[in-house]
Amino acid sequence: MERAQSTLRALGERVVQSLSSGKFPVFEIPDRKTSNIHYDPSTRRYALGPSTVKRDSKNTKHVRSMAQLLWAASFARQLLNTSRTSSLRDLYYSSEAFGIEFADQSESDRIVTDLECLTGLPREAFGVFPEEHSSIYGNVLMRYNVPGYEGREIDLTVSPDGLPIGPALVSAEPVRSSASMVLAVESGGMFSRLIETKAWQRFNAVLVQLGGQPPRGTRRILRRLRYELDLPVYIFTDGDPWGMHIARVIISGSANAAHIKDLNVPDATWIGVTPSDIEEYSLPNEGLNNADLKRLDDLTRDVRYDSAEWRKHIDDFRRFRKKAEQQAFSRYGMDFVVENYLRDKLA
Amino acid sequence: MSQRTDLTQHFESISPAEFFYRNRQMAGFANASQALYSAVRELVENSLDSCEDHSILPRVDISITNNGSDTFNLRVSDNGPGVPTEHVPNAFGKVLFGSKYRQRQKRGAFGLGVTMAILYGQITTDSAAVIHTKQIDSPGTEYRLLIDVEKNCPIVQSTCELHRESTGTTVSICLKGNLSRSEDRIMEYLRLTSVSSPHASLSLTIDGNVVAKFGGVSRTPPPPPSITKPHPRSVDLEMMNRLIQQKSKKRLKDWLVDSFQKVGVKTATDFLKFIQMDPNRKVTSLSRDELIRIGSGLRKYDKFENPDSRALSPIGKSSFIVGVRSAFNTSAQYYSVRTASEWHGHPLIIEGILVIGDDFPRSDIPTLYRFANRVPLLYDSSEDVLTKALKRVNWGRYNLRNSSPAALFVNLSSTRIPFKAAGKQSIASIPEIEEIAIALYRDLGRRLNKVLKQHLQSTLKTKRMREFRRFFNLLAVYGAELAETQVPETSSMIDQLFEVEDIE
Repeated sequence: MERAQSTLRALGERVVQSLSSGKFPVFEIPDRKTSNIHYDPSTRRYALGPSTVKRDSKNTKHVRSMAQLLWAASFARQLLNTSRTSSLRDLYYSSEAFGIEFADQSESDRIVTDLECLTGLPREAFGVFPEEHSSIYGNVLMRYNVPGYEGREIDLTVSPDGLPIGPALVSAEPVRSSASMVLAVESGGMFSRLIETKAWQRFNAVLVQLGGQPPRGTRRILRRLRYELDLPVYIFTDGDPWGMHIARVIISGSANAAHIKDLNVPDATWIGVTPSDIEEYSLPNEGLNNADLKRLDDLTRDVRYDSAEWRKHIDDFRRFRKKAEQQAFSRYGMDFVVENYLRDKLA
Repeated sequence: MSQRTDLTQHFESISPAEFFYRNRQMAGFANASQALYSAVRELVENSLDSCEDHSILPRVDISITNNGSDTFNLRVSDNGPGVPTEHVPNAFGKVLFGSKYRQRQKRGAFGLGVTMAILYGQITTDSAAVIHTKQIDSPGTEYRLLIDVEKNCPIVQSTCELHRESTGTTVSICLKGNLSRSEDRIMEYLRLTSVSSPHASLSLTIDGNVVAKFGGVSRTPPPPPSITKPHPRSVDLEMMNRLIQQKSKKRLKDWLVDSFQKVGVKTATDFLKFIQMDPNRKVTSLSRDELIRIGSGLRKYDKFENPDSRALSPIGKSSFIVGVRSAFNTSAQYYSVRTASEWHGHPLIIEGILVIGDDFPRSDIPTLYRFANRVPLLYDSSEDVLTKALKRVNWGRYNLRNSSPAALFVNLSSTRIPFKAAGKQSIASIPEIEEIAIALYRDLGRRLNKVLKQHLQSTLKTKRMREFRRFFNLLAVYGAELAETQVPETSSMIDQLFEVEDIE
């Protein structure tokens, strides 16, 4: 937190110094264009290359986004000084009171990403989080760092609904766990099912509900559970190109967050639903639509899929032309997914 | 009002006052509100014509006084050359038919309107018109006149020498009218008259109070147009008969040369060969069929030069602009003119000004103000050829938007205006005129478009500068907040930046 504060102060000082000496402030921000995003085999994740973009306040087209960026920085400073957090959406709405016009939230989100790139710090360090849609449940003890809860420990089985992964939990320290794995599932329905059927006990797993493509805080927790508590991570998604890619992002990182380190879990495993599972378990399925097929084309060109194993998944999708949701297992009864599928996969 | 006395020898009495009185709606005297407006208009136009014929800067004072209930005293006074005393009764008290064969641009066509106004006053209030006039070498004379409608002749009630300070003519008429319904029209008429004749000073007094003054913003009277002979393409059978009566001793070739403009000996010879007529025939010996043949030949023959436009008196660029700007708030104006054109042998000049200004209604098509020989046309706009042309132009092409209210002032000058009806309020759809008007409008549209584009760019630049200043200041404010220091001074940097930009 102190590091974040001093980084922001340094940013302001640079601008003021430049202005005081009659120079137009210039920012050099790491370039997030796809041409500058590389897959780094050594860290097994997406990372930014050396190219940067220059924002010059002399340029009438740049000055607006620079002012917005400085405002976002001062907003972050306020959050840090008052030990508060904010959602991206909240930040977007707050801007209106300051004469900072964002055309829409995607613009303010982009400015926050600029701030991350410029400072080298993730937005969570500034207290800015996305809206919550992930939860966690399992035998893990975490220790809070947030003001008012400093040092308090919490067992993640405290609520049968699971605990939402919010700013407090993301910044908490994993203390210990009696679990032997992490099972990340895509849908809320499957997450609840696995809690209710006590599957978490059966597999001795910490359950994480991803809620589609998971927010960064969730990916960060997955990584900490993997490296700080040494729990292997398994990923269970829908059997379609989109579900497969959720797994791939957890493993290798995303282009959107290529400027942020320590978000991926390189040795996590996608257990399915794989295209061949659909065949093998005769799951109720739908045909792939045009958007799905186009997505497969995109993924074919994606360096993250440059391995025999992942190539095979893409080819299988193309071959079978089928997709199935996690819930498709319900066809064989409430317990089938635990008794048969997960048992096979997690054995 | 001397122009009519100049022409006395060319006037002839024709079917009389009574005809016009019975058909008074044709002359614009259908009802009380129309009558007051028309009377003002006829008297003012007569005054302006007479001043301009003598290159005098017109000063016309209009005074309307309510005599109780619906009766008004209308007095119009000018600083013209005055009317020769002996001509006053006939000039004002008799419906005259002027010689239309001497061609030159005028506001009024035959001077019928003034007599009509006097007649209307006489019938509605049973009172005489009072004409007080002074020429340069006379002390001043006052006439009280009535008109004998059946005999079409003036009845002089009294005449006396009456001192008048300077030359000019004052006509006073007592008539029934409706001022509350015609006041706005009269004001609009005078305002627009000052647009097309900015050299004229007009004032309107109602019940002793001066309520409006217009014009007088240009100090140069328009050069008087020259009087021309008719162009051969403009003839009709009746005109030919009159021209033959005037020059009955001539032989055909000489008659052509003498009677028409743009016809010399060679042209006349060539033309007569073309229609295969004997040049030495005496004109009085020509049969009706032969006259018809000559007439249609004259209209068809394509070797006559275009009619002489020196008979016309267009407003001109600087006067028109001065006129428009004196009457309306404008931010920009563009003038264009189409000269050297004709319709049916009558020379024709159409000139126009496209203006931008907040006085005009917001619309995607300019508001049209029409003038014919400088006379504003206030009614029947929808039937006018100038309106028709306006609608045929795609104004969207010229960047005309609701945000920049525009108006189009168009003046058509010709020795003959093809009015649609005797009310003289709208111009008939002559294809030649319509095409010329459209070409003129498009030219104005292009000029406007060019400037609107520049204007838009400069607005954008100003906006960009304002935005820059705002965001640059925010940059400084939040930078200082992060650094926890004073906000550094930035305005000189911004000024410097835009100075550099301006030089570029």
